[in-house]
Amino acid sequence: MSWIREGELSLIERLSANILKAGPMPKHVAFIMDGNRRYARKRHVERQEGHTQGFDKLAETLRWCLNLDIREVTVYAFSIENFKRCKEEVDGLMELAKQKFARLLEEQENLEKHGVCIRVLGDLTLLPLDLQQRIAKAVVSTRKHNKCFLNVCFAYTSRHEIANAVREMASGVEQGLIKSSDVSESLLSKCLYSNNSPDPDLLIRTSGEVRLSDFLLWQTSYSCLVFQSVLWPEYSFWNLCEAILQYQLNYLSLQKARDLHREQQALQQLEADRHCVAELLLMHSGNGKGNAMDTQSRQEHLLTYTAEREERVRGFLEALQQRRDSYFTDLTSQVALA
Amino acid sequence: MLVQSLKKDCVMALVYEFVWRILHALLHLQRALISWFRVRLWNWRLWKRAVAALLVPLALGFQNHKKLGSSAGKQGLRRVRWGADGKSLEKLPMHVGLLIVEEELHYTDIANLVVWCMAVGISYVSVYDHQGIFRRNNSRLMDEILKQRHDLLGLDSAKHSLEFLNNRNEKQDHQVLSCQAVVKALSPDDGKPSIVRAAQELCRAVEEKERRSKDIDVHMLDAVLRGSVHIPDPDLVLKFGSLESTLGFLPWHIRLSEFISLPSHTDLSYEDFFSALTRYATCEQRQGK
Repeated sequence: MSWIREGELSLIERLSANILKAGPMPKHVAFIMDGNRRYARKRHVERQEGHTQGFDKLAETLRWCLNLDIREVTVYAFSIENFKRCKEEVDGLMELAKQKFARLLEEQENLEKHGVCIRVLGDLTLLPLDLQQRIAKAVVSTRKHNKCFLNVCFAYTSRHEIANAVREMASGVEQGLIKSSDVSESLLSKCLYSNNSPDPDLLIRTSGEVRLSDFLLWQTSYSCLVFQSVLWPEYSFWNLCEAILQYQLNYLSLQKARDLHREQQALQQLEADRHCVAELLLMHSGNGKGNAMDTQSRQEHLLTYTAEREERVRGFLEALQQRRDSYFTDLTSQVALA
Repeated sequence: MLVQSLKKDCVMALVYEFVWRILHALLHLQRALISWFRVRLWNWRLWKRAVAALLVPLALGFQNHKKLGSSAGKQGLRRVRWGADGKSLEKLPMHVGLLIVEEELHYTDIANLVVWCMAVGISYVSVYDHQGIFRRNNSRLMDEILKQRHDLLGLDSAKHSLEFLNNRNEKQDHQVLSCQAVVKALSPDDGKPSIVRAAQELCRAVEEKERRSKDIDVHMLDAVLRGSVHIPDPDLVLKFGSLESTLGFLPWHIRLSEFISLPSHTDLSYEDFFSALTRYATCEQRQGK
């Protein structure tokens, strides 16, 4: 079974898709694909079979998303917590991942045709080395594609992601690239694994569970959350349409809440910059120079400070991106050597 | 040929948009009808209660002379009943988040909810709206809670003593020890900005060579975020309103919270509240396994 299933929608599906597309569509949808094991139990098949069918459903869903002009999809494939499952199941899942990533490499042409860029988010160092290498190969070979994006969260939890972002910023401070006062909401967002994606508009969890289970906690603060009771291997086109309809009903209110949040964020940044400038000026005047500043020169100081901060942050983020890129390229060159 | 097909596309687009609009109009209508029926149902319930309240004492021949005593008795009964309800559940959340995603906020209804939470035995209650209105009007909310507690449960017995936390000066406020319920009004500022503040604190420690960046992990960040006060993560978030979003409610802390949606916090009945708790009690958490 390949990554993106070929085939077109039926007439009635196409009609419904077109109707839905007349309204605001989510650009980025995230899935918690829950219910594979329950499905296997229900159908009296092996647990591993449930996982395999779950993967096939992903391929089908990606095709629907393409048909619906949804260009970015993020899926929760394997949580760090899942390492707690029994060894047999974890090994089975790793084996499945190995197969699927190998398969992906065989499908280069197809991926190129659709322009699919694959990203894998998570602490990959927790995985066996051969899987890391295959993932790296898939990521590197599709890096340049830019029509649609599939983010696979593997060995991922949101708290790890956030803590990792904080660690990256702290190491930037250690190296003198940024100052601790440069740490802000937007900088933290850019240090997350998901830094290259916009926040998801819609998050779908199947199988009737009503929690986030440590998935994209930071990114989904203002997303539409839809919990559906269907088990993932039984997910249908109509389930997806229902979720999108739900998103459309919430669209305006969500947009309003998002705008409000953006405003507050900008205000906080300005406040922080002002505070830093005031502190700097205080330090200088403490050295015996002039006292009261007129508003204009204060404004100028603020502008220079902001420009300097942005420059620092830019340099830091560039270094971070480079390090992350080279992690993958190094892994692939290891494979080439081996 | 090309022009013709363009024309056809154009017409089809208009048709699709028209159908889409009708579909959404229908959905909005359905929503409005549901909420209308809910209100009607509620009014009807109130009516029934009012009629019962009028008729029963008449029938039994109690009129005015026992009114005071009976109201105190009623409060006592309620207290016992709600307490027993809490105990009858298989599991009760430690910390409940009340997430209001509606435009209109009613302090009395929220206060009611908080008092119910306390009465069934929930230890921590957070109240959140994404515009920070409750947080700004903290004292009004707390007064209302005290009032409702008095009205619903009778006297302010030490059993239900309250503690109000104001984030800014948590440390001073946290000295009341005999408390059973901690009530907190939260705003978006307690969400991402508080994570950013914790990150800044850690980075400052690194800047001053007190810590090394590579030691930073989930546990350390979690400890900094919590500060000195240990409040468990919300196990249950009751969301009020039709909007399906957390609107920035405590991103770090809702990792394993169960979300249960209720249509509105206005005029919510105790039965609806309790059925949400019952639903929570049947949720199974596997924690990755």
